[in-house]
Amino acid sequence: MAFPGLGIAKGMATTFRNFFAPKVTRQYPEQRPEIPDRWRGRLDLIYDPFGEHKCEVCFQCAQVCPVEAIDMSGFDSQGNRIRYGMPEIYDERKDPNAYRRAGLAARPMRNAARWDEEIDTPFVDETVDSFGGRPEALVAIFRAVENRYGYLPERALRRISDRMTIHWAQVFGAAGLGGFRLLPTTGHTITVCDCASCRFTGGDRLLRDIEDELGIRAGESTADGRFTLETRSDIGSGSLSPALRIDTLVYGPLDTDGALHLISERRAAATAHGTAS
Amino acid sequence: MDWELLLGVGRFLLATTLLLVLTIPTAFIIIQMELKVIASMNLRLGPNRVGPGGMFQSTIHGFKVLAKEDTIPDQADPSTFTLAPWMVYMAAAMSMLVIPFAPGAIAADFNIGIVYFFAVLGLSVVGLLVAGWASYNKYSLLGGLRSAAQMVSYEIPLTLSIVGAVVLAGTLSFSEIIEWQRQHGWLLIWQPIGLGIFYISSLAEVNRTPFDMVEADSELVAGPFTEYSGMRFGFFFFAEYVALFIMSGILVSLFFGGWLAPWPFPAQLGGFAGTLYGIFWFFLKTYIFVFIAVWLRATLPRVRVDQLMGMAWKVLLPLALVNLFVTAIAVVVFDL
Repeated sequence: MAFPGLGIAKGMATTFRNFFAPKVTRQYPEQRPEIPDRWRGRLDLIYDPFGEHKCEVCFQCAQVCPVEAIDMSGFDSQGNRIRYGMPEIYDERKDPNAYRRAGLAARPMRNAARWDEEIDTPFVDETVDSFGGRPEALVAIFRAVENRYGYLPERALRRISDRMTIHWAQVFGAAGLGGFRLLPTTGHTITVCDCASCRFTGGDRLLRDIEDELGIRAGESTADGRFTLETRSDIGSGSLSPALRIDTLVYGPLDTDGALHLISERRAAATAHGTAS
Repeated sequence: MDWELLLGVGRFLLATTLLLVLTIPTAFIIIQMELKVIASMNLRLGPNRVGPGGMFQSTIHGFKVLAKEDTIPDQADPSTFTLAPWMVYMAAAMSMLVIPFAPGAIAADFNIGIVYFFAVLGLSVVGLLVAGWASYNKYSLLGGLRSAAQMVSYEIPLTLSIVGAVVLAGTLSFSEIIEWQRQHGWLLIWQPIGLGIFYISSLAEVNRTPFDMVEADSELVAGPFTEYSGMRFGFFFFAEYVALFIMSGILVSLFFGGWLAPWPFPAQLGGFAGTLYGIFWFFLKTYIFVFIAVWLRATLPRVRVDQLMGMAWKVLLPLALVNLFVTAIAVVVFDL
């Protein structure tokens, strides 16, 4: 039965009970919550307002994970699927055995080839040792390895990590930042710098002329697979602008003639090599 | 004879000074109480850093306000703008003159104390209206008009609810009403409806939740105080809490026996000891009602403005009139 004032009385009773109830305030700097030793917070992948994962596969979380429990896969800036973890994580778990257990025809694992790539382990060890295993030499070591393979094989990175006893995430993080290739390429990759400095000094014209010369647009490869053309802004050679990178070597400042000369040099070398073999 | 006059003037000056000084700790204590009690009811600890147990939090707030910059809007009328907080504050402070703290501890024991009280307390409406008008800001003006509408509306049931008690006691003097209550029992028993109307109206009159439409903290800008800063705002703030104290004190004096103890007042206790005893009971009862007001604020949501006005005119005013009518008939019939 509704009785005027009953609701108010109920509310007053509630607040009066609360007046004597234990308080929930925690005096933070003085009183700290008891956190279990193994507590590592909640692991979660958050989304940006457009519904995309905010995770950029930067490996910072893997870097601070004390038990190296975190590994991840994602897409690089060119849309290639990259996975820098053990094969049996996340959706990669659909390994041939899982298919067999499900009564399906076994399929090869995705990216399995990369896991099986062969590297010259003594060469990598030697390179690491020649720099004394100092972490600040990582970039130089990467450069040496990249010169040998044309890209940085994942196994080589693992080997570097083991040899130098540096956390894998740190090694991979450094490799991902420095403009190194993490995937094998065919032929030469010509990278035209499109940073502001290079564009002001004629980088646009340089790119257009090279596109005309090779008959492809930026981001494409020539039909014979000898050249891949791309633009990037992380070449980091403002003093050389307009700059150009062929595979791992940076040239600049270049005019159109110089660039075309470099390309024809590579073309001639490839042809010579082809005839020789 | 001249000496007697001088003595009276001196006593009056002393009493008013004491009352003005009393407003400061009163406001600080009530603000502190509000901070701590509401925090407790919200399951929080509340301020606990300034002084032991945080007991100087409101004081430090007061000094902070004192140290703040005092701004006057360009287009505002400086004289009325500066006058308004003073008017509101003085309305509260002046009405303290007639509050009966204890036998012999009344600044001015008028025989028309009740009339004086409601007349002077009503002046704060003028202050709020002036504040809203002088600010040269339409929100302040609307806030001022809103508060004026509310306070004028509630003054009517507030005053009428007392008339029953006045008719019953046959006096307009506070000390005589308390004396009547000593003989006949507290007016709480005689005038329960009057008490209810008085309490609700007094909450609205001093802008307390659930009737704090004047300065609805969480919903509106600060009403007529919008353009005020520093100690001018502080005066409005102080006046509000002093008014709460005064209203609780008047409620206690009129319906809960004022300085009387819940059991018969020991007659042998005279003079200074009796005054202290009375002051103890008066403050205890008053602060119980201050606590209830704070408790209400922690509990109730704000009423809508149309409900607020409807309540005053459609419920409280007729009820007060009926109460007065019944009381008057009872006085005549039973020859009370």
